Amino acid sequence: MELDCEGDEASAWRFGAASPVLTAARSQSIRAMVYRVYDCLDRGDARPVAPLGHGDPAAFACFRTAPPATDAVAAAASSGVLNSYAPAAGLAEACSAVAALLSRELPYEVSPRDVVLTAGCNHAVEIMMTVLAAPGANVLLPRPGYPLYASRAALSGLEFRHFDLLPDKEWEVDLAGVAALADDNTVAMVIVSPNNPCGCVYSRHHLAQIAQTARKLGIMVISDEVYDHFAFGSKPFVPMGVFGEIAPVVTLGGISKRWMVPGWRLGWIAATDPNGILRKKKVMDSIIDYRGISVDPVTFVQGALPHIIANTDEAFFANAMDVMREAAEICHEKLQEIECITCPHKPDGSMFVMAKLDLSRLDGIEDDVDFCSKLAKEESVVMCPGSGLGMKNWLRITFAVDPQLLEDGLERTKRFCLRHAWQSQGDELMNTSAS
Amino acid sequence: MENGAGAGAAAPAEAAAAWNFEPNVTLLGLTALSVRGVLGRVMAGMVVEDCGAGGRPAVPMGHGDPSAFPCFRTAEEAVDAVAAALRSGKHNSYAPCVGLKPTRRSIARYLSRDLPYELSADDVYLTSGCSQAIEIICSVLARPGANILCPRPCYLFHEARARFNGMEVKYFDLLPERGWEADLDEVQAIADKNTVAMLIINPGNPCGNVYTYEHLAKVAETAKKLGIFLIADEVYAHLTFGQNKFVPMGVFGSVAPVLTLGSISKRWVVPGWRLGWIVTSDPNGVFQRTKVVESIKCYLDISCDPVTFIQGAIPQLIENTKEEFFENTVDVLRQTADICWEKLKGISCITCPSKPEGSMFVMVKLDLSCLQGIKDDMDFCCKLANEELVVILPGCAVGYKNWLRITFALEPSSLEDGLDRLKSFCLRHSKPKVGAA
Repeated sequence: MELDCEGDEASAWRFGAASPVLTAARSQSIRAMVYRVYDCLDRGDARPVAPLGHGDPAAFACFRTAPPATDAVAAAASSGVLNSYAPAAGLAEACSAVAALLSRELPYEVSPRDVVLTAGCNHAVEIMMTVLAAPGANVLLPRPGYPLYASRAALSGLEFRHFDLLPDKEWEVDLAGVAALADDNTVAMVIVSPNNPCGCVYSRHHLAQIAQTARKLGIMVISDEVYDHFAFGSKPFVPMGVFGEIAPVVTLGGISKRWMVPGWRLGWIAATDPNGILRKKKVMDSIIDYRGISVDPVTFVQGALPHIIANTDEAFFANAMDVMREAAEICHEKLQEIECITCPHKPDGSMFVMAKLDLSRLDGIEDDVDFCSKLAKEESVVMCPGSGLGMKNWLRITFAVDPQLLEDGLERTKRFCLRHAWQSQGDELMNTSAS
Repeated sequence: MENGAGAGAAAPAEAAAAWNFEPNVTLLGLTALSVRGVLGRVMAGMVVEDCGAGGRPAVPMGHGDPSAFPCFRTAEEAVDAVAAALRSGKHNSYAPCVGLKPTRRSIARYLSRDLPYELSADDVYLTSGCSQAIEIICSVLARPGANILCPRPCYLFHEARARFNGMEVKYFDLLPERGWEADLDEVQAIADKNTVAMLIINPGNPCGNVYTYEHLAKVAETAKKLGIFLIADEVYAHLTFGQNKFVPMGVFGSVAPVLTLGSISKRWVVPGWRLGWIVTSDPNGVFQRTKVVESIKCYLDISCDPVTFIQGAIPQLIENTKEEFFENTVDVLRQTADICWEKLKGISCITCPSKPEGSMFVMVKLDLSCLQGIKDDMDFCCKLANEELVVILPGCAVGYKNWLRITFALEPSSLEDGLDRLKSFCLRHSKPKVGAA
């Protein structure tokens, strides 16, 4: 308890330290971790910051959103009829548009009733981790993974356990590990495909195996598809909902990545569950109930959604993926030039790649956090330390950046690594300047 | 090999009991505390008529959202600001968790106009509407055994979020015979060592009252004496049209620290834009010292943000909106409050203890003894919606059973129509007079 020194008759104020639950939840925050790296930047450095730490390419001209999307939102905002509160599940026409969009790639129709609009995919994550928090329940989360799942689970008192993604198997899910972790209180497993942070896309076969595992365990699959269609390698994007017949699938998605507009805050939760199990078990009711006392997406952005979807042509997406593919190539090639960094899997999806740091090749660098802090300070390059995602001494690198800036940033990273390279006796590494 | 296209080796439709998951049951009851949820039930039996074919329009007197009416349409300058921010292409990214700095600075300046001290940008935290501000406060305060003091009647969204976070809510009465002032003696009686804060809603929802400077001073003194802080829900700030002017609780921030909640939803009539704030009106820096600020930032870090381009539009929106727009809105509210007050006088089973002076609502008492076949306030509202297509909020939704919360923020002609239909309904359901005339 704190005493207020100002007033003589005031009692001690009856509130004190931050709630321990909240502090624990926040400690997993990726935003906080990346901001701490940003804090290390030398503001006097005239070079542009290479922001390779988080997935938000909206600032770059090459990733500008589709003009019809902006037009649709501007029109909706000016219409004067979309300034009201919307229903808890979302505007009917927007839910229908999402249902139709998802149904295009599924062997069954998704009903608009099975779609709930959210304020971005992060909000969808929050809702799921809240709705499933029955006493004693636990969820299975991937490692490395997106830390918000653990944060929100911690906050709602939902136990979480981590299963591994296997770097030697293109980051596939360790299904034996999943089966070993699950018990009678396990309610769901989360998968992310295309994957953040690993940059892989799961094959149809692997998704089927995941569904079979979930079915055997009697759990639902929460499929985080915020990076849907971000597949520019050999494996095409396959929605997990394709296997909704085998195990109930909750699909999370949004427009943030595909349209490059994370600031517009529009996402969805869809029950891609042809057997209607989620509905029977009242999970959908819970989702809508919680949405009713939680944040709403902006009404006119909801209203614009059918037009955003209808009016954006394939050429926009194809072009964005071309730039993304080019950036992924540059990233992979430049990383190969850096001795102390190894990339087990060439990124072919999402906006990220996980790369392993070989600390034995570096001098005076303690761990991944230290690496990122010093890299930011000395070279104005920001990367995300892997320990924030459950993989100590790894790095998560974003390639969804202007290709020239990306190349420049990775070149500076190379120089940094050379400068900090561990020199053994007779090692001429530092004297052979490769730049 | 499974290809997932149809039934595999296992039976396709397992019985539901075989699946392990159950929803969090605490949630299933909380919708009853949301206006949206209760109105959903009220309107369940309502059949919308085809206005083109001569049917009657529904009259929405249950919620605080007049944005659909032309006389309440938001300022052109506000729409222009949003369109400009959107088209700039500079606001499509994620924003910082506390909100864009220029936006926070502009809100700090805007609110400081009515305070005896300057707020800084760092005192302002942007939220997705006032609703999220409430969510954040409740999450931040929650710890085992804590309780908050709320007025009765109340906007029960506060209770919904408090309970969701495991906090207890203790109620103190607002006194209808004293213009709905808080019973401060009761506040002192019910506070205990686990009480962390007291909620005050001014201008009042659901009561339509506006507190005097003197009363707010007493509220602050009470909080100080109890060692608790104040949550001031000021979402209806400046929407006053009677004798009392709006006084922000933050004026007394040096007596007891105040968390001020607000938004653009009501004053600019854009509840669908979802832009609000939590402001620490706390010149003595108590919130900083007691880690409340740190907790707010913790929660914001893992929560959704208001739309970036709407944040980006705020400085222009505040600067460019003309006084005439605000004056016009208040004029319409004054006019409709008058219409409501007068017409209600002519309905014998309804009593209005005090004329509304602010917000968009008035609380009225239902005399069920004059009516037949009406069980309670919920029954009254359901039948009214069904028979007359008029939607009113039953008092149980604000903790005051057998009262009604009536919204008067409508186009004047729609309001008159709605009140006429209300009167018809009451006459039709009146108990016949005993004895010969």
